[in-house]
Amino acid sequence: MAQGTPLLEVQGLKKYFPIKRGVFRHTVGHVRAVDGVDFTLRAGETLGVVGESGCGKSTMGRSVLRLIEPSAGNVIFEGKDVTKLSKSQMRAMRREMQLVFQDPYASLNPRNTIAQTLMEPMQIHNIGTRSSQMERVRSLLDRVGLDPEYANRYPHEFSGGQRQRIGIARALTLNPKLIILDEPVAALDVSVQSQVLNLLDDLQEDFNLTYIFVAHDLSVVRHISDRIMVMYLGNMAESADSDELFIDPLHPYTQALLSAVPIPDPDAKRERIILQGDLPSPANPPSGCPFHTRCPMAMDVCKREKPVWKEVKPNHQVACHLY
Amino acid sequence: MSKVLESTDLQNVLEVKDLQIEFKVDEQYYKAVHGVNFHIAPGETLGLVGESGCGKSVTSMSIMRLLKDPTKVSGQIIYQGRDLLKLTENQMRQVRGNEIGMIFQEPMTSLNPVHKIGRQIGETLLLHRGMSASRARKESIEMLKRVGIPRAEQIVDEYPHQLSGGMRQRVMIAIAMACNPSLLIADEPTTALDVTIQAQILELMKQLAKENGTSILLITHDLGVVAETCDRVAVMYAGRIVEEGSVRKIFKNPQHPYTRGLLNSIPKLTGERKRLEPIEGNVPSLRNMPDGCRFAPRCPFAMDKCVAHNPELFEVEDGHRSRCFLQEGGQ
Repeated sequence: MAQGTPLLEVQGLKKYFPIKRGVFRHTVGHVRAVDGVDFTLRAGETLGVVGESGCGKSTMGRSVLRLIEPSAGNVIFEGKDVTKLSKSQMRAMRREMQLVFQDPYASLNPRNTIAQTLMEPMQIHNIGTRSSQMERVRSLLDRVGLDPEYANRYPHEFSGGQRQRIGIARALTLNPKLIILDEPVAALDVSVQSQVLNLLDDLQEDFNLTYIFVAHDLSVVRHISDRIMVMYLGNMAESADSDELFIDPLHPYTQALLSAVPIPDPDAKRERIILQGDLPSPANPPSGCPFHTRCPMAMDVCKREKPVWKEVKPNHQVACHLY
Repeated sequence: MSKVLESTDLQNVLEVKDLQIEFKVDEQYYKAVHGVNFHIAPGETLGLVGESGCGKSVTSMSIMRLLKDPTKVSGQIIYQGRDLLKLTENQMRQVRGNEIGMIFQEPMTSLNPVHKIGRQIGETLLLHRGMSASRARKESIEMLKRVGIPRAEQIVDEYPHQLSGGMRQRVMIAIAMACNPSLLIADEPTTALDVTIQAQILELMKQLAKENGTSILLITHDLGVVAETCDRVAVMYAGRIVEEGSVRKIFKNPQHPYTRGLLNSIPKLTGERKRLEPIEGNVPSLRNMPDGCRFAPRCPFAMDKCVAHNPELFEVEDGHRSRCFLQEGGQ
């Protein structure tokens, strides 16, 4: 793992979506999808981002790439603040940062052959001749475990797992340094899911890739991540090294989340913390700590004050008044 | 509970025998379910596990007779001594929602968006119990309370879109349980929900089933959910049951290479993180089913005879069966 300067530094990242009402589309409020996220990531590392639906994990991933324009904060990639770049500078920068989507069915153009889909990034960035592009396509397909002969087929001819391999090949086309994987295995069957996870492991090793792995499945995130960040309602709840987080979860939300995951072992005995109620709306988040409405350990201070983000153990941060 | 035990003490609530389901695609029939047999005892929860396309959902739909022409369903589906496949549509209507309840994966698409919650729960009560509208309403509120919905008196007059996913699934359970069915079919009931909400819903299903002595057929792809909720498990692959047994046997001593492969391929929450052992290849498509054992093309132990012949379900030990030549003649 590379030492020294981090590859990616995210500071105070926020994304508020305006809520517009009425004939004149007045802004009547904001959905605070991401409400202040900070992290640093070194080259070759994987940061897992977990949380339930609506916690802002996908929006966070997309804001880093500026596919969604962040409302505030800095995204510093190799020393350059991505949020300050012009459109054309940003386009050049995107060669370094790619995205793999959840739904392999929806993210490939059904009218394009696999070769057309994989060559498009090279054409946009004017890389190589047609024949060298085709050569690249064939080697990429081979690298992600598909027969290079499939290059002229259409997406509908592939299974979900194969399409996700194509999605990964597309992300690799321009030799990026950072790949944001947004629920990359959520739509896949268990047996195929593990094939894709192993492929991601291998590619990271071979190309020294840095991953931000956004997912809701905790066992998958634990498997692939070096560090994990738990998000709740647009806020960071806890962050720690992968093993540490599962051994000693500090935030009551992390504890509840871990205890809720069904374990495929009928003998596994454990205390299950069943959270009451639903996720509050990010358009109208609770005062103080966003988790206090469902927290089994909520105190008076939790309703009034938002807990600060602090390092409680080495490399283990949490936002909770208990610590 | 005691009432159920008296009447059906020795009898299974449901017995599915040699179930075959064929779909018509481009003027040709393809078999999606191929000779499936299973039973559910009173108060028992049976998990039907498998990956997409293995036939688990269509099996559950065939029990409710929800598959329409040109789909062909044959075999026997014996519910409380009656073959459901032989009932008239009118008789079947008496069974659906009354004796057998069903909940689906997507609560938003299975609730009617233009009717209030109360009406949707009350509908089953009006239809099957002949209740008056006012009693049905009272009963609906009672059901909402039983499934843990706060402000039941107000929610009864709200529409599905006003509720969260977890709340909608609770409403679905309230509808399914309104007539106190002896069998509940739950098809991926928590797949669309977040883990903390999933934990609530599974807990609720377990508790209701225990209180009423309801048998459950739980269809899922999530082995964790199976381990935590089921008594027995049937693993399906490509239209056939490949292994069945008690939860303990299946998870502690899996026999079929597919079951073992599934268990090995899921990342663990505890212990050392190591490379996953996936099952190579893909699930075969309906149009292109391999001859012999359908798992043979992906099986690390495949022998010559696996390609040529389809193995029977061999008894490994009492109540634990595996469809694999490795277990031929017992252990």
